[in-house]
Amino acid sequence: MSMKSELMKKRAGIAGVNGALILFSLLAFFPLIWVVLTAFQPTDSGVSFVLGDILKKGFTLTNFTRVAELIPLWQNFLNTVISSVAGTLLTLFFCALAGFAFAKYRFRGSNFLFLFLLLTMVVPSEVSIVPLFVVMRKIGWINSLLSLIIPRAATAVGIFYMRQYISGCPTDLIEQARIDGCREFGIFTRIVLPVITPALASWGAISLIARWNDFILPKIFLRAPDKQTLMVSISLLPVSEGLSTPWPVVMAGVAIATLPLIAAFVVLQRYDIADIMAGANKG
Amino acid sequence: MKARPHSARKNEVMHAYLFISPFFLLFIIFQLYPLVWSFILGFYKWNGLTQKIFVGLDNYRMLLNDGQFWTTMYNTLWYAVANILITLPLSVLLGVLLCSPLMRGGRVFKTVLVLPYVTSTVAAGIIFSMLFSSHIGVINGMLKALGLNPVGWLNTMEWSKYPVALLSIWRNTPWYMLIIMSALLGVDAHLYEAARIDGANAWQRLVKITLPCIMPVLMFSLINLTIDSVRIFTEPYVLTAGGPGASSMSAIQYLYTNAFETFKLGYASAVGYVLTFFLIIVSVFYFKSLRQQSGV
Repeated sequence: MSMKSELMKKRAGIAGVNGALILFSLLAFFPLIWVVLTAFQPTDSGVSFVLGDILKKGFTLTNFTRVAELIPLWQNFLNTVISSVAGTLLTLFFCALAGFAFAKYRFRGSNFLFLFLLLTMVVPSEVSIVPLFVVMRKIGWINSLLSLIIPRAATAVGIFYMRQYISGCPTDLIEQARIDGCREFGIFTRIVLPVITPALASWGAISLIARWNDFILPKIFLRAPDKQTLMVSISLLPVSEGLSTPWPVVMAGVAIATLPLIAAFVVLQRYDIADIMAGANKG
Repeated sequence: MKARPHSARKNEVMHAYLFISPFFLLFIIFQLYPLVWSFILGFYKWNGLTQKIFVGLDNYRMLLNDGQFWTTMYNTLWYAVANILITLPLSVLLGVLLCSPLMRGGRVFKTVLVLPYVTSTVAAGIIFSMLFSSHIGVINGMLKALGLNPVGWLNTMEWSKYPVALLSIWRNTPWYMLIIMSALLGVDAHLYEAARIDGANAWQRLVKITLPCIMPVLMFSLINLTIDSVRIFTEPYVLTAGGPGASSMSAIQYLYTNAFETFKLGYASAVGYVLTFFLIIVSVFYFKSLRQQSGV
């Protein structure tokens, strides 16, 4: 009897947990489904938001070619890919390098410098955006992707994350390599980097998402249309035909800007971000 | 372990400084220098082209009486409170559900639930502006189908903050969900087993075991979420352009408008410094929780 009620209770629990997750998944997915439902609609008879009508209206790809006429699509796409991929690779390298130093070296002031580094996360660069713009103008990086890549080539939060992860790795291998005559930088590239691949993958995913989706900095630093990134150019799509760009065309632009990253993310899901962050927390 | 010769030790220390130097170099050029300069600019009147004019505390005096500035500060606080009251509990709930042994979705739920975070704020903002549009929008369509009155989400002062906050919540929740999940995976499973044997129900286990165990991460998330809320710019910029009036404009957006649309660069710097002041107050808490976390 008690076994049976226990089983019933467990079934109710499973239904509750999974039912709630289905509901929240629908809420997460709801806005995205409208991109697909809208982007392929022909624009001649106005946009429709009723599923039956949408299916009746048929399917077209002309919205995507229309986007390419409104904005320098390929250039913007290339700018986004270059700045986010190069930015991610650079930041992985320098964050791992600094994280390694903070985790495995004893040096004067290391605790103070690390605390200081944590403090710098508090004041975001947005508050001093005016002088930052002037600095970029002086260096000549306005309209250059370097303005997005270089300033964040080493970030406090990335170093924090890498230090946590590397702290949990065994020190013996490093000592052994040193005795074998390996140089300090060689230890980093040959011993540390291979061991922290999971952390590099998960932090890489996080950085890539942040950079791909970046808006305020490219908006300010990249002024010429063909120098802009996708996010800046698609933000202008709704007004690019004098406030009346048809929604299907706008949504085609949104799809181009979003789907590559979503596809990459779904493929990379095997590197489980949460599990890896758990490792870093314990370290 | 045999003590290494002094020169080898010195070589290691040299390399450690070399390895951490890129961050500090970049910090000085792209963060510290602009921050100091911003402080100085706050005492000047400047349009970016002509000579700067020293005006003392005039910018700050003007700020105190600038109704629009305080509206944007109020809006920013409103967004922060909305994020803290909804995003954080929701992230904990989703994290607990996803880590539950009763979960039967494999990786499907997690992948779908993380999608809003992978979607850019700009793209999501454009999508939300279509969904919340008063004439054709799907949201108003659903309200009508339920027999309710349509709402001027994007073009009335009383409602414009809601879609902005919803957008921020929709996009932020997955990120904090992941952070909280990472903490939940670190909670010792034996504690749950012991509590179950003692007859604790699911709610008691959550309040008595889970939440205390993940407290440092919750604090970290709370303060991070506050800082993220203060940085809100893209959401109102894309969705409502801060309007109508300044009813949904964030403080960073007000700074942006002053700097890059009306070219009051000194005034914009002063806005930045008032924000910095508030962030430093928040940072005291931030600092403490992070210190706990990293064990420094």
